Amino acid sequence: MTMTNRVIEEFKAEFKSVDITEAPYEKQGYHLSIEARTGNLLNIIDFLDKREFYIIDLFCVDYQDYLELVYFFNTHRELCRIKVTLKLDPVKPVAPTISNTYTIARWYEREVHEFFGVYFEGHPNLTYLFLHEEIGHYPLRKQHVPVPDGDKKLLNSFRPHEEENSFFINLGPQHPSTHGVLRVVLKMDGEYLISAEPVLGYLHRMHEKMAENKSYMQFMPNPARMDYPGALLFNLAYVEAVEKLCGIEVPERAKYIRTITCELNRIASHLLWLGAFPADLGALTPFMYAFDDRENILDILEDVTGSRLTYCYFRFGGLYNDINEETFIDATKRFIERMRERLVMYDKLITGNVIFINRVKNIGILEQGQAKKYGFSGPVIRSTGIPFDMRKVDPYAAYGSIDFEIPTGHIGDNMDRYMVRMKEIEISLNIIEEGIKRLPSGPFKTEKVPKKLKPPKGDIYNAVESTRGETGVYIVSDESDTPYRMRWRVPSYSNLMTFPHLSRGVLIADAIATLGSYDIVVPEIDR
Amino acid sequence: MDIINSMQTLQEFFHVAVFAVVAVIFTISPIIIAYLLAPRTVGKKTFVTYECGIEPFGNAWIRYSVHYYIYALIFIAFDVDVLYLFPIALSYTKGGNAFEFYSLIVFVLILALAVIYAWGKGVFTWKRKILS
Amino acid sequence: MGKRSFHLETKDPIIKFAVLDKILDLARANSLWPITFGLACCAIEMMCASMARFDIARFGAEVFRPSPRQADLMIVSGTVTKKMAPILVTLYEQMPSPKWVIAMGNCAISGGPFVFEGQYNLVEGVDLLVPVDIYVPGCPPRPEGLLEGLMKLEEKITGTRRFPVPEPKW
Repeated sequence: MTMTNRVIEEFKAEFKSVDITEAPYEKQGYHLSIEARTGNLLNIIDFLDKREFYIIDLFCVDYQDYLELVYFFNTHRELCRIKVTLKLDPVKPVAPTISNTYTIARWYEREVHEFFGVYFEGHPNLTYLFLHEEIGHYPLRKQHVPVPDGDKKLLNSFRPHEEENSFFINLGPQHPSTHGVLRVVLKMDGEYLISAEPVLGYLHRMHEKMAENKSYMQFMPNPARMDYPGALLFNLAYVEAVEKLCGIEVPERAKYIRTITCELNRIASHLLWLGAFPADLGALTPFMYAFDDRENILDILEDVTGSRLTYCYFRFGGLYNDINEETFIDATKRFIERMRERLVMYDKLITGNVIFINRVKNIGILEQGQAKKYGFSGPVIRSTGIPFDMRKVDPYAAYGSIDFEIPTGHIGDNMDRYMVRMKEIEISLNIIEEGIKRLPSGPFKTEKVPKKLKPPKGDIYNAVESTRGETGVYIVSDESDTPYRMRWRVPSYSNLMTFPHLSRGVLIADAIATLGSYDIVVPEIDR
Repeated sequence: MDIINSMQTLQEFFHVAVFAVVAVIFTISPIIIAYLLAPRTVGKKTFVTYECGIEPFGNAWIRYSVHYYIYALIFIAFDVDVLYLFPIALSYTKGGNAFEFYSLIVFVLILALAVIYAWGKGVFTWKRKILS
Repeated sequence: MGKRSFHLETKDPIIKFAVLDKILDLARANSLWPITFGLACCAIEMMCASMARFDIARFGAEVFRPSPRQADLMIVSGTVTKKMAPILVTLYEQMPSPKWVIAMGNCAISGGPFVFEGQYNLVEGVDLLVPVDIYVPGCPPRPEGLLEGLMKLEEKITGTRRFPVPEPKW
């Protein structure tokens, strides 16, 4: 009996009065849909928690007569996506908090509060996370709803208490590492961290609001700006979601080229991290070597897509233009050979370095048991030993027909995250080789795609494995040519929120090493 | 004879004096040159302590961790070592005999005993994680 | 140029005459030290410009100082949001004079691709906050574009362009 059926049976046995419906996975992207009420929401959450479901995302949609809180859950063992919805009154929306069961919900609920004005009862710290102090309205509501005066004090989100003997220091928005504008406020005792609190929102570029004002095609440049080292993968998530929603078929050649270019982009992003992570520890040499390799990939991709960093190559139904078979395949084969030799060099330069091993081994150990409460994904979860990769769990593009393995670590320390990413580079090289061998001929784009896409009414959730983890898009369409609501589930958000837990009581140098090993990109957190 | 002796001693110190004056000039001259040649701008936040662009909050006069204090004590031990080595360097005869060499080794070892004791007690290894 | 509303009063140096000015300007132009102020996507292109292929070290500017007290060039690479704006102004004020600003990328010039009706979090162009000397357009501009911007800045400081404009090959 599949997971879905088991869940339906057990759920109906326990909650007789709650609606649970099965949704067509191909069209909607999730298996089950549960309509909860304020009274029994916490019981449903407990039910899912007992069955090892982790929370994918928590957000809100403003249908003008009511606000709908949407929760998505999934398991690591078998793909079974469950959507739980809760309707709220638009004038005074109040909901119970689930942050006692799922820790990451603390931050998701703060975000829903500042964008929609929903109050969560029992939340430990319902202050603003992303927005600045002069904002006077809830931005993502469809009408202009001003912030009530009593809540203006919540806007000053970060004011630490003046304690007697604690020393606060800002790991500020301006710092010499490549994460982006991340601010972490550290409370220190000598050289040890007592607490680390990330402050976000310094690069909030309103992608979700832009999606409601632009048509589907006009929104195409935006996903690339969210995660610029791995732009093609975000492109893929968006394009596939809209294609599934409209029922557009993609030709085989386009799927294979999408796979090959996405894997090249994954290697480029991992090389950027490979330069930046030892730089956080103090080793400045690998930076130069990694960027040199990365320039090779950027040359190949620039030939095909036209840009170096923020690609916008996929279109609904295929690609923007076809690859030039001789030059592309030649250059890629030469690159693969060269990269294989360089990986041996990186092994000797970094992995075998005694200083690196001492800085990185047994630091920042993340346990498997935390995976459920935080929902982290990507190399972070694979380093703890759980082999969870969206390319295997739910194959998309051409990954279903290419054989590859998933690297896992053992204990989930920084060294394991490093080794998982290095092995992923090797595996990506293998995938590209396979893809080139099997590349079919044919059209690269479906012919009959309308210029102004008007998808049918409905919603869809689509997830891909981007360089940092599970990236998801949730689109609600109302038959017009702009999306009604678009929500991006980004992996760096849930990865980063384990940092306060991991950095309690460690030396500050070790905390910086842990932060570097996560490979977060702040624009995708701030969206 | 007396005057010639003191002139000779003064001559030896002449080089030290030149060294001291040049050192002082070397450090102060860039400050003076910059003061004379650079334009000056003062904004509202120019003299605020730099903390990644944010105004620092919290007190800086706090109780320091005891690890730093112990490092300062070890530094004093090393400093005293170096101070005692100066007169030894002056009175060490060139091409001296083995007795002088071994007595110097014993002297340095006795002075270094403080540092070796601290090393054995684990002052130089800090725990990687203090809270769980 | 630009919608300048920011003004820092600059006092002249104590010793000032023409030949000394020329020598000092040549020295300053040859050794611009940027501050690490990468905000978004353009920061990656800025890093590429300082790596082995598009070497910025041959123009003397590879020393990216994290501290504004030691830097004299601020390359604003990326979008400036309203939450980030006071920090940018603080860092600009903390840099010692003489200092220059390059606005790199469309977001720093005028808000870039994120300007739409109803936007609530964007500063449309960094020249609303600090006086900008050079604008380098692109989204993101190529590293060669940033190097050309650096050349133009050197021309602005010294008065003559010291490196030739590269001939386009096609």
